[in-house]
Amino acid sequence: MAVINLKNRQIECKLVYYGPGRSGKTANLEYINKNFSKQVAGKMISIDTEGDRTLFFDFLPIGLGKIRGCDVRVQLYTVPGQVKYRATRELVLRGADGIIFVADSLAVRREKNMMSLKDLHENLKKMGLDIRRIPLSLQYNKRDLENTGLPIMSIEKMEKELNRQLKVQSFPTSALTGEGVGKTLTHTIKLILAHLQKEFKWADGS
Amino acid sequence: MDLISKIKLDFKEAELYRSQGLLDEAIDKYTAIEALIKANSNIRQRKSLLAKIASRIDELNKKMKRISAPTPPPKVSEDAQTLMKEMFTYDDPEAKGSSSLGGAIALAKFGQYDKAIEELTRLLEYESLRVEAAKNLLSCWIQQNYVEYAVSLFQKWKKTRFFPPEELAIVLGHFQEVLAAAGVTREIAGVELQKTIEPDSEINDEDILDISATKFSLPGGPRKGERVEFEVSFQSGKYIQIIIPKKEKDLINGLNPGNMLKDIIFYSPAAIFSGTGFLSSKKAIEAGPKRGDYSFSIKIIDIKS
Ligand SMILES: Nc1nc2c(ncn2[C@@H]2O[C@H](COP(=O)(O)OP(=O)(O)OP(=O)(O)O)[C@@H](O)[C@H]2O)c(=O)[nH]1
Ligand SMILES: [Mg+2]
Repeated sequence: MAVINLKNRQIECKLVYYGPGRSGKTANLEYINKNFSKQVAGKMISIDTEGDRTLFFDFLPIGLGKIRGCDVRVQLYTVPGQVKYRATRELVLRGADGIIFVADSLAVRREKNMMSLKDLHENLKKMGLDIRRIPLSLQYNKRDLENTGLPIMSIEKMEKELNRQLKVQSFPTSALTGEGVGKTLTHTIKLILAHLQKEFKWADGS
Repeated sequence: MDLISKIKLDFKEAELYRSQGLLDEAIDKYTAIEALIKANSNIRQRKSLLAKIASRIDELNKKMKRISAPTPPPKVSEDAQTLMKEMFTYDDPEAKGSSSLGGAIALAKFGQYDKAIEELTRLLEYESLRVEAAKNLLSCWIQQNYVEYAVSLFQKWKKTRFFPPEELAIVLGHFQEVLAAAGVTREIAGVELQKTIEPDSEINDEDILDISATKFSLPGGPRKGERVEFEVSFQSGKYIQIIIPKKEKDLINGLNPGNMLKDIIFYSPAAIFSGTGFLSSKKAIEAGPKRGDYSFSIKIIDIKS
């Protein structure tokens, strides 16, 4: 839930990276932390277990400076993707203003992607939110593995299986090389700000 | 593709899964390669390949076991704890102080029990928060297996009359639930609720129609005096039951056993009549889909028209 302070002209919103275990959510944040140092507004906090699996969440605050007269800050979070951490996912998702769903392009993770999307859908519903209404983008991650001979799903196939009904913007990405990481982030933040504008009319000249 | 190239590519795949922590997938792939090699006796270095695969599978199995073993949640840094708390500062901005309760509960959910207990203990001082704080405090101790301590804490509250009887009953109800969920059978000396003496009803059970809804002024709480309508979920003679969802805190707090509902209206499919009702019990529902909601039973004392 965004905190909007019209008097100080500040907006703080929450963007959550969601997706199955090992799909690259933490890697997204790590890439942003390393490569967008101008925007990074604080220390990245990761709480993980052995083998780098996220246990509770990762957190990275970024600042975008002034946008239409308002100082915009975004808190990035990742959820733990492992199925058994359902309760924690729900907790971290609470109050999200937008979501980036990180799907794994590895063919062996096909079903996990779909299950995780369903889990997102259900968790949002529990909070009285509609997956078709909340600012959302999709990432088809690990595209750097394309053309290596390894079993990677085609974009078309992923689009059909994950995005046929949602019809949101999707991005082929690699959280390792950084391809598409910034693009997904910028696009989703734009969605969030537009959504908040409709609700709160925060921007100048409106 | 010839057999050797296939094995090489399969190996690459298995190694990728292994490096990405996709343990199940890696084991499956290694097992498939193993079967393939075993079925082909003319592969060079067959023995050493099989040995390598076996050791990989073994290593992966061990890792799986380590990861799936239940471990207590680690204590995280102060920064992270502060963050956990602040993640929930938007909880229910209406109710003052509830954000700090939300934060404390979040700490507990993340397994940061020490910090959560510290916060919850502080919140016990606030009248509007103390029941929730107490409930969560007991949960924190039980989750860490300090059953005796939790029981003694509860008994202290009871002995010092820290909570009014109504509230103590709610805390007790929750406590019993938590103990049951943790599989602990432990007698907690029950609480004697101050028994309210119910006024007699003038009417016979047979004379009462089926009642589908009722309406009355709230006898207390922040919305005191407001007329509210409720669906009747169950009726047994002159007792009707209504259920109020947990989020309707104002309504729940405004209704307590002993309340006389002087202007109550009863709706039945055939007629509407007014009368007097007596709120005879209030219970938090402990299980099922309505868990956390409250059920109230109202005794029909008289009917005027
Ligand atoms: N090749 C490749 N590997 C990736 C990419 N993104 C992540 N990985 C690797 O995939 C593994 C899992 O990445 P994480 O970012 O930890 O995954 P996660 O989604 O945070 O996983 P959980 O915390 O368990 O939910 C790591 O070994 C990463 O290096 C990518 O775009 N390309
Ligand atoms: Mg992670």
